[in-house]
Amino acid sequence: MSRSASVRMEGIVKKHGAFTALHGIDLEIRPGEFFALLGPSGSGKTTTLRILAGLEPVNAGRVLMDDADVTHTQPGERDVAMVFQSYALYPHMTVAANIGFPLKMVGKPAHEIDLAVRDAAAKVEIGHLLERKPGQLSGGQQQRCALARAIVRSPRLFLLDEPLSNLDAKLRLETRAELRKLQRSLGVTAVYVTHDQEEAMTIADRMAVFMEGRIVQVGTPHEIFRKPATVAVAGFIGTPPMNLLPASLTAAGVRLGGALLEVAAPGVSGTREVILGVRPGDLRVATAGIPARVEFVEDFGDSSIVNLEVGGQRVKLRAGESPDLAEGREVNLAFDPRAAHLFDRATGQRL
Amino acid sequence: MSRGAIRRIALWAVAGMLLAVWAFPVIWALLTSFKTERDVLAYPPVWLFKPTLDNYREVIFGTSSILPNLWSSIVVATASTFLTMLIAVPAAYALARLNYPGRKASGFYVLATQMLPPVGLIIPYYLVLQKIGALDTYSGLTAIYLTFSLPFAIWLMVSYFEDVPYEMEEAALLDRAGRLRALWYVILPQVRGGIAVTTVFVFLNAWNEFLFAVVLGGNRVRPVTVAMFNFISVEQTQWARLAAGAMLAMAPVILIGLFAQRHIVKGLTVGAVKGGGRR
Repeated sequence: MSRSASVRMEGIVKKHGAFTALHGIDLEIRPGEFFALLGPSGSGKTTTLRILAGLEPVNAGRVLMDDADVTHTQPGERDVAMVFQSYALYPHMTVAANIGFPLKMVGKPAHEIDLAVRDAAAKVEIGHLLERKPGQLSGGQQQRCALARAIVRSPRLFLLDEPLSNLDAKLRLETRAELRKLQRSLGVTAVYVTHDQEEAMTIADRMAVFMEGRIVQVGTPHEIFRKPATVAVAGFIGTPPMNLLPASLTAAGVRLGGALLEVAAPGVSGTREVILGVRPGDLRVATAGIPARVEFVEDFGDSSIVNLEVGGQRVKLRAGESPDLAEGREVNLAFDPRAAHLFDRATGQRL
Repeated sequence: MSRGAIRRIALWAVAGMLLAVWAFPVIWALLTSFKTERDVLAYPPVWLFKPTLDNYREVIFGTSSILPNLWSSIVVATASTFLTMLIAVPAAYALARLNYPGRKASGFYVLATQMLPPVGLIIPYYLVLQKIGALDTYSGLTAIYLTFSLPFAIWLMVSYFEDVPYEMEEAALLDRAGRLRALWYVILPQVRGGIAVTTVFVFLNAWNEFLFAVVLGGNRVRPVTVAMFNFISVEQTQWARLAAGAMLAMAPVILIGLFAQRHIVKGLTVGAVKGGGRR
């Protein structure tokens, strides 16, 4: 019976003393959406989440939930629940008391709390651990306990601050899928902070990419992967991320080192300094093209990443099973011109 | 012998030596309290003597009974401890967590009062208490004890509050607890140990206090530390009675020490290991 909120942020500015953490954030999150805030550490994504929670005051701008201005509303009055990176479980209370705490605070009768706690615990499969203290739980169980505490009161907005970062790699993958399933079944709007682009790509309906206190791009994971708005986004998204090489753009095509590549450059007169971006999966070894030398191969069994050197720069190429490329071998690289991404070298903006 | 065993023996040897140095005066005073005045002054000291309870009889029921003085100590130490904790816990929470104008300044001011030597304060305190007619009263001495126990308690409690991760309190705020209930249900239970240690320290400081008590007390309010001084006079020092009085005065201290030992050790190492929060 969850309700799901729409969220809007308008011109949010946040300063920590002389340092500006957020330079005017505009964001719109639709009801029921699983929305990721993605960016490297220090880019302002966690600050944005904390502003949504009401834990940080803003220096300028407005926060709206369901079209009501909540900019100055206390955290407890916003009807939002949050899962902290550290889980922030109450160590002196049992799991049941932890999960039931938000209900106790609003004065629900004990038998109702008991039912709701059992229900929430069952949803995250920790029903058998209710009498334990958080210190007696594994990391994964603690994380579930924090989730149960968040879902128990059916909030209209669910905030998650890197909830998977303290889990080991295998558990992270499992929990990621379960989290997604849980959010779908509850139908609640969720905002999810992560620095792991793969996590954001796989879990989110839409996402916003943060760089240095600004949102540089908003879109579906697919859109952002296909058309990164800036060099920084291009270099951040993808595993491994896009190869970025300085080149010059002329009416004839792109000149990279000695090679001239046929890349469509409509309306270009003269020469323009650009950055050419090609995803590792779009590169292939060919008989002619950009000269490169094989440095080493990372073999993953069913696929591999070939590390090459092109004009003093490292370039990665995704290849199939055990490619026949010995270290030191000279090869040529080619790619479909339509797969090329061009960015202005001065501004970093996509052309 | 294994390395572990050697380590253990060395540890016990060092601990034993330290204990002997610390415990010797206490054991000596205990023995003295059961001696007659003649045995006390015997030279060389006698180790085998006929124990007597006369000294205890005298300091409890005799003309120089210290029972009223023990009562004075209990009243002043309990009252000042209670008031100190009542003020220090919320004050420390505010200093550790709230953001209000003048927070740094008030934190420093609390500490600044600790920077003056007590001797320098005695005369001003005496004059103030005299002016308001509070010399030789329980309220007067208790108030003066607050001047040194409060800063101590506040700063000790601040370090305990700072050890509680911020996020835990924020989680409580999001769970609709509000500041006061977050403090009551989430923060205070986690600083229970700190409150216990601080209470013990404050009580013991007040119990052991001598300087202010001797100057600002009098015939009505005379804590046991001052009363024992009466056994030392120009003509003679009644060592055996002094020792018996000291044993009685020490008893609560030792009991509290044994009782709170675990917490105190934890309290002394507070901040040594940072756990929990990210920041």
